[in-house]
Amino acid sequence: MTPVPAPSAGPEAAADRLLEGWLAAVAARLPGLARTRQAVVAELRDGLLEGLRTHQARGLAPIPAAQATLAEFGDAGQVAYAFAPELVAAHARRVAFTLARTGPLLGALWIAALVASPLSKPLLANAAAPWHWPWSAGPWVGLPLVGLVLLIGIPATVLAVAATGRPSRWLPMGPRVAPTAAAAAAIAGMTVDLTLLGMLGAQALIEPSQLAWVLSIPAAVASLARLALAGRAARRCLASRATLA
Amino acid sequence: MKAEVLKGHLDALLLATLEAGPRHGYAIIDAVRTGSAGRIDLPTGTVYPALHRLERAGLVTSAWSTDQGRPRRTYRLTAAGRRALGTQRSAWKEFAAAVTAVLEPSQATPQPASP
Repeated sequence: MTPVPAPSAGPEAAADRLLEGWLAAVAARLPGLARTRQAVVAELRDGLLEGLRTHQARGLAPIPAAQATLAEFGDAGQVAYAFAPELVAAHARRVAFTLARTGPLLGALWIAALVASPLSKPLLANAAAPWHWPWSAGPWVGLPLVGLVLLIGIPATVLAVAATGRPSRWLPMGPRVAPTAAAAAAIAGMTVDLTLLGMLGAQALIEPSQLAWVLSIPAAVASLARLALAGRAARRCLASRATLA
Repeated sequence: MKAEVLKGHLDALLLATLEAGPRHGYAIIDAVRTGSAGRIDLPTGTVYPALHRLERAGLVTSAWSTDQGRPRRTYRLTAAGRRALGTQRSAWKEFAAAVTAVLEPSQATPQPASP
């Protein structure tokens, strides 16, 4: 039988338990990404231990020193509440940067799939610019919608990045702006993906020979992956936004 | 000193403690407490998020290191932070002079008499 380690005893261990209990209470209330939350907890733990050491150096016993440290740090709920805007902003920034990085890649994949498809051959042969192509015909009727959604998604991404970075110094915005903008950008990305996948599916049903499958499949897989990630990101942004008063 | 009195001056206080060199969160709080002879006792819960906000704004940077086996985040003033501190210091001097002039007229600089 494996011996069960005896629980730590003594005033030092009791002081540690007091501090760890407070940290656990803060951690349970923090919104945002796990990695960011862990960093906050690690930083607070260092501060608590430094406070404990300082109070002990001034002559307090371990438990009163831990109690004095916790009194300095304040209520766990209030500390978590004070951290929430920063953690929500960090999450919104990450979502916005991910969308900004994946967007052009996805766009390039879909454009390559479209240009390589037999559908575009007569249009390219006529050397007409893409904006002169007859988008209103066939399953590609959704492409103008993609353009329209991008007109919302791109500014929303820029706003989320600006609200969570250095421009926040000059453009003070409420803490709910960044998660709202990031969620809007993610929803815009999802709308684009759904539209493109819908158009691809329609074309595959109507005239599959008109598709460049070698390029269409990677584009569809990439859009499906982003759809799942953007959906999760939008839900989490809206949920973390709800934690802000 | 009550926290609400310090509202609006927290950033300047934090930046000022970093002017002499990098510090970790608790050392910043301790520096404010010691520097004010205990009169300013910042609520710690507000200091850490404020440091994160200052970092987001590019006024401070942070780096992780290890101290006695535990991770420690240390903050350092950036060039933009130094400029912001200068601006806030000037604004504070102007504000303090104006308030003193009203509260203690005898100590205010005499103004030229109007004709």
